[in-house]
Amino acid sequence: MGSKESYRNELRSAIRQLGDRCLYSASKWAGELLVGIDQDQPRSSAIAGKATPSSSARPHHQQEHLHRDGSSFRRSRSRPGGDSEVFSATPSGGVSYVSTPSPVEDEIDDGADYYLLAKSYFDCKEYRRAAHVLRTQTSKKSIFLRCYALYLAGEKRKEEEMIELEGPLGRSEVCNGELTHLERELSALRRSGAIDAFCLYLYGIVLRDKGCESLACSVLVESVNSYPWNWSAWSELQGLCTTLDILRSLNLKNHWMKDFFLANAYQELKMYNEALAKYEYLLGIFRFSDYIQAQIATAKYSLRDFDEAEIIFEELLRIDPYRVDSMDIYSNLLYAKESFSSLSCLAHRVFLTDKYRPESCCIIANYYSLKGLHEKSVVYFRRALKLNRKYLSAWTLMGHEYVEMKNTPAAIDAYRRAVDINPRDYRAWYGLGQTYEMMNMPFYALYYFRRSAFLQPTDARLWIAMGQCYESVPLQMLEEAIKCYARAANCNDREGIALHQLAKLHSILGRSEQAAFYYKKDLERMEAEDRQGPNMIEALLFLARHCKAEKRIEEAEMYCTRLLDYTGPEKETAKSLLRGLKMAQSGFPSVEFEHFGP
Amino acid sequence: MNLILLGFLYAFGPSPSQLGGTSPLQKPLPPKPSFSVLPILPRRTEEGGLSSAMAGASKEGFSGIVNLTPHKIALCHLIQYFTPAAHSSLPIPFKSVSQHNRLGLFLFSLTRACNDFVEPSLDELITQFKAVGVGGFEYDWFVDWLSEDLTSRLSALSSPDDLYNFFEKLRGILSPAEVTNMEDEQCFLDPSSHLGVFIRCCILAFSILTFEGVCHLLSNMAAYCNSTDPMYGLPEEDAFNTDLVLQESHEYHELNRASDKYIHDFEAGSSAGESSSFHIQAGRPLYGVPDKLFLRSKWQIQGYLNEQADLLERHAGSFRFNTFEATLKHLQKMAPDMHHVKYLRYLNNLYNDDYLSALDNLHCYFDYSAGMEGIFTGSSAPPVSGIQVGRYESALLCLGIMHTRFGHSKQALEALTEAVRISQQNNDDSCLTYTLAAMCDLLSKIGICSTSGIIGSQYSLGLGTPLSTQQQLLVLLKRSLKRAESLKLTCLVAFNRLALAGFYLKHVNRPLLSFGPKASIKLRTNPTHVCKELRLSSYLLSEFGSDGLSLPNDNLEKLINSPTSFNGKRTNDYDTFHFTSQPNPIPGSVLQLAGASYLLRATSWELYGSAPLVRSNALIYATCFADSASSSELSLAYCKLIQHLAVFKGYKEAFIALKLAEEKFSSVSKSHIHLLKFQLLHERALHRGQLKLAQQVCDELGILASSITGVDLELKTEASIRLARTLLAANQFSQAAAVACSLFCECYKFNLHVENATILLLLAEIHKKSGNAVLGLSYALASLSFCRTFNLDLLEASTTLTIAELWLSLGRSHAKRASNLVHQTLPMILGHGGLELRARANIAFVKCHLCDPSFSVSDDAEMVLDPLRQAAEDLETLEFHEMAAEAFYLAAVVYDALGRAEEREAAAASFKNHIVALENPGSGSEDEQRICDSC
Repeated sequence: MGSKESYRNELRSAIRQLGDRCLYSASKWAGELLVGIDQDQPRSSAIAGKATPSSSARPHHQQEHLHRDGSSFRRSRSRPGGDSEVFSATPSGGVSYVSTPSPVEDEIDDGADYYLLAKSYFDCKEYRRAAHVLRTQTSKKSIFLRCYALYLAGEKRKEEEMIELEGPLGRSEVCNGELTHLERELSALRRSGAIDAFCLYLYGIVLRDKGCESLACSVLVESVNSYPWNWSAWSELQGLCTTLDILRSLNLKNHWMKDFFLANAYQELKMYNEALAKYEYLLGIFRFSDYIQAQIATAKYSLRDFDEAEIIFEELLRIDPYRVDSMDIYSNLLYAKESFSSLSCLAHRVFLTDKYRPESCCIIANYYSLKGLHEKSVVYFRRALKLNRKYLSAWTLMGHEYVEMKNTPAAIDAYRRAVDINPRDYRAWYGLGQTYEMMNMPFYALYYFRRSAFLQPTDARLWIAMGQCYESVPLQMLEEAIKCYARAANCNDREGIALHQLAKLHSILGRSEQAAFYYKKDLERMEAEDRQGPNMIEALLFLARHCKAEKRIEEAEMYCTRLLDYTGPEKETAKSLLRGLKMAQSGFPSVEFEHFGP
Repeated sequence: MNLILLGFLYAFGPSPSQLGGTSPLQKPLPPKPSFSVLPILPRRTEEGGLSSAMAGASKEGFSGIVNLTPHKIALCHLIQYFTPAAHSSLPIPFKSVSQHNRLGLFLFSLTRACNDFVEPSLDELITQFKAVGVGGFEYDWFVDWLSEDLTSRLSALSSPDDLYNFFEKLRGILSPAEVTNMEDEQCFLDPSSHLGVFIRCCILAFSILTFEGVCHLLSNMAAYCNSTDPMYGLPEEDAFNTDLVLQESHEYHELNRASDKYIHDFEAGSSAGESSSFHIQAGRPLYGVPDKLFLRSKWQIQGYLNEQADLLERHAGSFRFNTFEATLKHLQKMAPDMHHVKYLRYLNNLYNDDYLSALDNLHCYFDYSAGMEGIFTGSSAPPVSGIQVGRYESALLCLGIMHTRFGHSKQALEALTEAVRISQQNNDDSCLTYTLAAMCDLLSKIGICSTSGIIGSQYSLGLGTPLSTQQQLLVLLKRSLKRAESLKLTCLVAFNRLALAGFYLKHVNRPLLSFGPKASIKLRTNPTHVCKELRLSSYLLSEFGSDGLSLPNDNLEKLINSPTSFNGKRTNDYDTFHFTSQPNPIPGSVLQLAGASYLLRATSWELYGSAPLVRSNALIYATCFADSASSSELSLAYCKLIQHLAVFKGYKEAFIALKLAEEKFSSVSKSHIHLLKFQLLHERALHRGQLKLAQQVCDELGILASSITGVDLELKTEASIRLARTLLAANQFSQAAAVACSLFCECYKFNLHVENATILLLLAEIHKKSGNAVLGLSYALASLSFCRTFNLDLLEASTTLTIAELWLSLGRSHAKRASNLVHQTLPMILGHGGLELRARANIAFVKCHLCDPSFSVSDDAEMVLDPLRQAAEDLETLEFHEMAAEAFYLAAVVYDALGRAEEREAAAASFKNHIVALENPGSGSEDEQRICDSC
């Protein structure tokens, strides 16, 4: 890992360039990454940092990084544009990354002053004014900032109009009035070849907003290939990769940023193990990156590895107590673990940090939901959605709340919007199915369960839901139900519903051999998990009767004896069964002796 | 016939009607132009007079607060002209009283139409009042002046303050409430008059507008005024290639694009009556939105969508899938609130057989609309507190209908059963009725051989005891009819009656109870039942005819009694402004149903065997109901007419007619016409002896049918029968018999007894031809009993004829019996039978006589020669070589006996010709070519 210094240099320069173009969130991301790079050699720093991963050393490190960051900043001010030769060095090491030259900065001219003014306006959120200042500037940087400012002005106006015209949750999608104009200008630029990576990024966004997604994809690929450090461009690209096929078809240069992109894309495509592998690898370089840690925790949560995820989240919060990013995932985790107090603490914390973040609202809503205060929960989910209408999980979770409130049309609406935002969200499909099932429409619900199971074929719960629909009184399609339960049983059904149902259905259909097989399996599972309950009694009773009918006396006796441990009417049944067995046994041996006697 | 039923269901039933109250049935008729009855008042009292005349006009038109739009401001301006205050600096040079009155009437009609109005652009407004002739004929300069002045005044409104001032001034033209002294020189508008109310509504709307609202209004104004500006060209690059821009009432964000595209096909100088070119014309089949059509209000879009839905349902094949889909996608993008678009997409997918997309869109539509009119509820987000109950049963109904169309009978049944359950659970009676009707349609259309598959549905339908499918169907039909009657769903009543007529036509009415003392009943169908139901179904028409404007009070209306949805039903209020057009008092859907009864009549006569009545009913349908008919129904009527031609006039004429029909229905895929063509080709090939061709046509016919069991039964039966006939013609008797037997079993399984009569007759023919007359007799007699049961008179005659032929072939001793039978059939056959049947009867008649030992040719030669000549002529028309040869042979024999050698030689030559033609059938290459072309 001799190239860590070069990573640092790349990132430092990127932060500066991104910041200069007012791409703040990408700049923020790069900054976080920069301080997350592991120390390789003590020589690079004045303080000999011990690269121990122990948590106690970490604040120390961070300070150190910040310090270094500051120094580099000073240095760059003295030598503008002088970093480019540093980047041209190909990082050596196991991975052969393609080196990407950093864009040459525009020369300082009179325009630079206007640029500075425009940037100040931009920073004050006076977008149109910033664009106006730059109207005559022709440098690439100025063009980008002008277009970007126009785009944001249009977005701002769009948001305002949305509120003016209809409720913020309304579906009246006002479009950004600048898009047509921007598209025309940027496409002309692209045709003439005078476009830089940043303008390409903006062009990609504009195209996406206009609905030309495949073109947007290729434009964004161009952008990240020529300037890979813009995380925003990668994120946009990731948003367009709705299927693995699209992802695989991208022609991306092999830069280390691509690994971050791939990891993130894998995660969004629910390929958690692949994502985890990537992150583990990246962690080797960016050992202290909070971003990677948070992503790992999210992946682990998605893999239902709650305990490990919780540890990581706790650690993240300890290091960065004012963090709100990905804390909604943490709250989901706490919800799943039913940790009331932790969740309330988290909610309180984010509330104090920034109550008008969609994540904060979502966390609070989760808390209320856990407390069973569904109305209040909905209020906060709605607030979260007001802040970000495309907040997928909030729609789904709000759907759950409506279901709890028995407000089925509202629930369906909420789920449906989640589905429309991301058609691959199997939870929302599942929610829709559940809602319809609740409304006693199992046949109609089947469609949704099918969609859901199609997206997540390894999830036993979905197959069980489908099986239950088929099995329901109005449908009574038992054969289909059996098929579904069989799928579920093969998908590592945690709750063991599938095996029990399989056994039951087979016994209803009079296939006692198969029923016995599944009862036995179910029994084994319950024994392994050390569970008790009515299912156990049912299984034992069936097996006892079955074995008796099959003349496997000893087995039957064994089951009967086990049944005797339980109270209730089954005990009596078992007793009578045992008596019957005894009688049969006393009859049988005599016959046998007669036969096989000496 | 079944298609009619389904067509109806689509047109009325499922969703748009129930949900949106927008079925054709419920389309309220545009009010008659009421201003035409207003008296033209003399000058002096015009204000007072008009005001008082208008005071009584519909005030409910302005319920609530109006939505202030540029068009309304323009109207306010016009009203200002109309009511100049005496001290106004700008006197209007009205030249005559009538001129003033004209403007008054014009404004009156405009403001009346203003409420949920599709607003015209400034251009259109000006063109309209030019057309109306506000200025009178000789005062065109006045109109020009007025329009210019109006335009300049409107363009002058360039700042919010201008708007404030304008409305301030507008207040001035209303007379203070307490001043009633009309002697005063000042002319005021009565605040309680129609125009006064309009002005007050506008002022109120303006005063409650927020500043943002004022800004939006202002930018809308700019677009409105610039709409004529030629410098707004189309944008160079438009990613969507839009031919449609949708501007909602306050969609100012469209400003740029809207002004770009403010071009529509309104031609200046066209008369007001032609202004309908502005909106969609109903009669024209549309593939998507015509170029440059400008849709503005939500109501208009909804009207457009309804119209498209109607067209889709009626002329499914004529829609270009992709074009329309693109239009819809674009609409959806522009108006995400418009869930109706998804419904249209569903319909489009449905009619283009895209199962998956149809399913997706259907679910999507109902998820969003909750089965209700969730479209125009103002704020789209449901309130947090108010819990709504969705009407998802209609979703199930639609799902069921969709599965029915795709031939998934089991799924359809499940969906409909669930719909019944949920409708009952939610007390949704009308949906329940529609569902029952849909279920009847399904059961009658799709063969379900055993009830085991639908046991579940039986229980939930409350049928209790296991019944056969037919009995279930009858029970359901009667229940559905009763419900529809009690709910006063007139159209559904008519539909159910038609379905019932169809049922009685083909099914023997058995007692429902299969135990207990059996009353002795004749197991026969009863034509009077059919007739009764058909006649009753037509009452529908008279109900509409008696009172043009009163619609039957559909219960559905109660379900959607909110004012907005009531407005929504006016598909296009722009119609109100048509001076020339008179509304049709009877909605198209009602006409469609009434027409369906004629088509069913034709079908019933086809079965009962009266060719002239089939023809006349089909003719009535094709002439009187063509406008409202769906293309598939209309093509069915044409088919019947062409079949009639083929049977009575020969193939030549039939093929000419077929060609015409093909041109007319070229766009309709898989239509009746297609089928008919195969039928005719097959018949002709059989007659000409082109067996290879016949076989090929049979195969093609078989491909048309769906491969799913129980679906397209009629088509499958037809194909099998034709296959058996082809085999018979090829003298492959055992194979033909095997095909016919298996077909009989199939039909028996699916209770197609009417078809069984034909199949049994075919079996009899096969055995007759194979020389096994005794066996043939038993089949023929069985067929006869079927014919009698179902009152199939013509088929019965044909069967009797076959029996006679069979007797004849048993030997001379049976000639007397055969002769009697032939005589029995003659009245029916000569009255109603086609060429072939008549020829057969004639030949049989002759044969009977020739076999009869008591008959001597020389005594009465004409007795046999005349029928033979007749037969030969008919058969030559049909190009039926085999039988024609037989006729000529017999003629030659007779002539020989008479010693007329010359005529004998002529007959023999004709005989030879036919035999040669039969043995060397033309390759039929042209026909083969045609088949290849058509496939």
